[in-house]
Amino acid sequence: MKFRCERDALVEQLSTASRAVSSRGGALPVLTGIHLKAHKETLTMTGSDLEITVRASVAVDVKESGEAVLPSRIVVDIIRSLDSGAVEVEVSGEEAKISGGRSQFSVRTLPVDDFPALSDPSGDQVTVATADLAAGLKQVVRAASGDDARPILTGVLMSAEDGGLRLVATDSYRLAVRDLPEATVLSEGQKVLVPSRALDELSRVLGDSEEVNVRLGEREVSFDVSIEDGAVQVTTRLIEGEFPNYRQLIPSSYPNQLTIGREPLLEAVRRVKLMARDTTPLRITQKSDSVELMAVTQDVGQAHEEVDAQYSGDELTVAFNPDYLIQGLEAAPGDEVILETLDALKPAVLRSSEGGDFLYLLMPVRVS
Amino acid sequence: MRLVIANCTVDYSGRLDAHLPQAIRLIMVKADGCIAIHADGGAYKPLNWMNAPNNVRELEEEDELTWIVTNPKGEQLTIQIHEILSDVAHDMGSDPGLEKDGVEAHLQELLAANIGDVCAGMVLVRREYPTDIGPVDLLCRDSNDAAVAIEIKRRGEIDGVEQLSRYLDYLNRDGNLRPVSGIFAAQEIKPQARVLAEDRGIECLVLNYDELRGIESNELKLF
Repeated sequence: MKFRCERDALVEQLSTASRAVSSRGGALPVLTGIHLKAHKETLTMTGSDLEITVRASVAVDVKESGEAVLPSRIVVDIIRSLDSGAVEVEVSGEEAKISGGRSQFSVRTLPVDDFPALSDPSGDQVTVATADLAAGLKQVVRAASGDDARPILTGVLMSAEDGGLRLVATDSYRLAVRDLPEATVLSEGQKVLVPSRALDELSRVLGDSEEVNVRLGEREVSFDVSIEDGAVQVTTRLIEGEFPNYRQLIPSSYPNQLTIGREPLLEAVRRVKLMARDTTPLRITQKSDSVELMAVTQDVGQAHEEVDAQYSGDELTVAFNPDYLIQGLEAAPGDEVILETLDALKPAVLRSSEGGDFLYLLMPVRVS
Repeated sequence: MRLVIANCTVDYSGRLDAHLPQAIRLIMVKADGCIAIHADGGAYKPLNWMNAPNNVRELEEEDELTWIVTNPKGEQLTIQIHEILSDVAHDMGSDPGLEKDGVEAHLQELLAANIGDVCAGMVLVRREYPTDIGPVDLLCRDSNDAAVAIEIKRRGEIDGVEQLSRYLDYLNRDGNLRPVSGIFAAQEIKPQARVLAEDRGIECLVLNYDELRGIESNELKLF
């Protein structure tokens, strides 16, 4: 195998594919490598940890077709370090020569026959507008859990809802819901649980593309994106199991409703959070025409800030994890948000005052 | 479940011979065929028993009933029933099984949630931290930001110390974590396990399950 390519285009796609490469390899050491296939003026790079597979392709000058598996981390570092301009990669036997400018590297390859055959999902292909999906993922994926001890919560629920697509994620402290009414990916009643890590990778590659092609299989889902210098496919296994029944947690009405400018509140929370060290919560006292934010960390100090707001309901102090509140405010669309509360210990709802398709359920923190 | 309270004499022959002289006892015949003979005392252990599968033959001679219980191993329990005081049977249906309070998973969950309260300055990195030989229960960082692997058991025995030692061996090969120290945490730690752990520089931590449960978390959860 031998090909020649511009460094910048190659390193970008190589980095994309390498993000799915297993850091340890486990039972299959070859998975610490990245699979390269040069064929018909295209180089396809595949990284996989068997749960997530990222395949990135880029146009190159193929001088000799072939395939090889190269150790991912070192090869990405080598190519990134080369001078801008043309890079040439030549693989013969168990050795890969990488050259660019006046630099030359020689790297031992990994056994190409050991690299697993990774098939694509067999379902029908559906096209979704990138802008909607990207916005939805940005709002929802952050609410998914990173704790592998509860694997169901590490996924994002994708379910058919009123002819569109609903995205839901929770880490049990907050829950984000976003409806994409125009995205018809699933048939009525269908729902799948997609690892948030895969969707995070997808978010990174969506970029300026206009459309995403989604192919849903029985146990896998793949997303194909065309980008300026090539194409990227993210394939992931679906998570098996039942997502918690989140609908029961969203009351139909709340007695207390705070309407407030999103940006002023966000800035105030960020400032007051400076005094909320470690697990210190941020207290919000809601009054008729304002809201008072307060954080106290013993032996360090305290912060207070008042923000203008409209409030209907009894005066109420409720405390939240400031990071979760910030992430909810960042995700909420529009200039104004509504924070609805029942009491200091029940989940609160954050949404845009303009209505819309986004909802963020946030569990308070108990304070004495 | 059949419960028979009877004045009886019992003889067992098998791995050894045993004789229970005539007395009033409770004979339990379980749906799966297990038979146990209880006195009116002691917490749970029968005076004699035979595990399923069993074959029970009832013989009646001269107004006296004899049960001959045999199993495939050739063991035999002979129950001479002189007088039956009570004989009742109930269909108990299928049993949902025993849910043990304080099993390792719950201990792990509790310790993970309260690690800072149990070990001052310690913060949790991850539960079930993966290594090539299996996940270590908790990976934490201490107040000096050094990595600490914690293995949790209900009963701390030598096997648990060996297991943690293997994890530490692997974790210490990772340049991003090294040096990794270990804590062996259990509700009860056997003296031999403690000696071995301390010999290997592993700290022992006795967990009080009730105390851990009593630590009220400020974190309210949706699920």
